[in-house]
Amino acid sequence: MSTANETKPVGIDPRGPRFGATITNVLSIVIFFLALDSDPINQSAAYLLLVLAAALFAVGAFFGTSSHPYAWLYKKLVRPRLGAPKELEDPRPPQFAQAVGLFVAAVGIVLQAVGVTYGVAIAAAALFVATTLQAYFAYCLGCQIYLALKRSGIIRAS
Amino acid sequence: MPLEVKLVLFVALALLTIAAGLIWKARSGSANSVKAGESVDLGKLKAVKDGAPVSQFGHKVTFVQFSTEVCAQCRQTARLLGEVEAKHKDVLHLEVDVTNRLELAAHFKVLQTPTTLVLDSTGRVRSRIGGAPKPNVIAQELEKLEVN
Repeated sequence: MSTANETKPVGIDPRGPRFGATITNVLSIVIFFLALDSDPINQSAAYLLLVLAAALFAVGAFFGTSSHPYAWLYKKLVRPRLGAPKELEDPRPPQFAQAVGLFVAAVGIVLQAVGVTYGVAIAAAALFVATTLQAYFAYCLGCQIYLALKRSGIIRAS
Repeated sequence: MPLEVKLVLFVALALLTIAAGLIWKARSGSANSVKAGESVDLGKLKAVKDGAPVSQFGHKVTFVQFSTEVCAQCRQTARLLGEVEAKHKDVLHLEVDVTNRLELAAHFKVLQTPTTLVLDSTGRVRSRIGGAPKPNVIAQELEKLEVN
C-alpha cells in the first residue's frame, strides 16, 4: 500500500511513548512548582530534576525510545495489564519528540545557568504543554513541526 | 513566590493548554475548499504506487497524502485512505514522502504532515486537509466529487 515502507524500522507499541509522556507530564508539574518556590533548596531541586529530565530525553533521542527507562517500566508494569497492541508504530516520531524535549530542557538549563530567574520554570511550562498535548490529545510533534523546522533550515537532513 | 500565585499560574497554563488541545483536535483533519486550485503535475509529483510510477489520476478522486518519516499520524491516515481506495474503484490514494523533498513541500506549502490534497478527475486540487483526516470529512469529499 504505502510507498515509504521499505526502510521502515521495527515497530513499537504506540502506547509506550504516551505512557512516558504522562510521567514527564507529572515531572514537569513538580519542576514547575519547585522552580517557582522562594526556598533556594527547592529551586536547586527543580534545576537538578530538569537536568534529570534532559538526561532521560537524551537517552530517547540518541538511543531510541525502546532503550528509554520509561519504555522498560511500560514493558514491565503496564503492558502486561493491557495485552498486545492492535498495531505497531514507527519508532522515529517519538524519537523526534524526545529530541525536541531535550532541546527545551537544555534551553531551560542554560537560561538558568546564565542567570535568567525563571529559566527552569519556563522550560518546565513548555514541557508541560507539550506532554499534555501528547499524552491526552494524541498530538504528534513530529507531524506538526518537523517539516516546518526542516523547511526553515533549523534542522538538516537526517 | 507565594503558593496562591503559583497555583494561579499553573491553572492558567493548564487551561490554556487544554484549550489549545481542544482547538487543535477540532480543526485538525477538516477540509478547506481550494478555489481555482492548480492541476497537479504527476511528472513532478513522482508518486510511486506498488513499486511503479503513477501516471494517471483516479477516475473521480485522487488523494495525495504528503508524509514524513517522523509522522505517526501519517500511518493512520495512509491506512484510512487505503481502505477508502479499496472500497471505491474511482478513488486513488497516493502517498508522497517529503522528508527529503523540501522543494515539493514548499511548492504545495506543506508545513504539517499529513497534509492531504483532494484532486478531481482532471487532477485539479479541490480541497486540502491538514492533519489526520476525519472519516466523515473524507465521506463529504467523496460525495462532493460524486463517488458513491
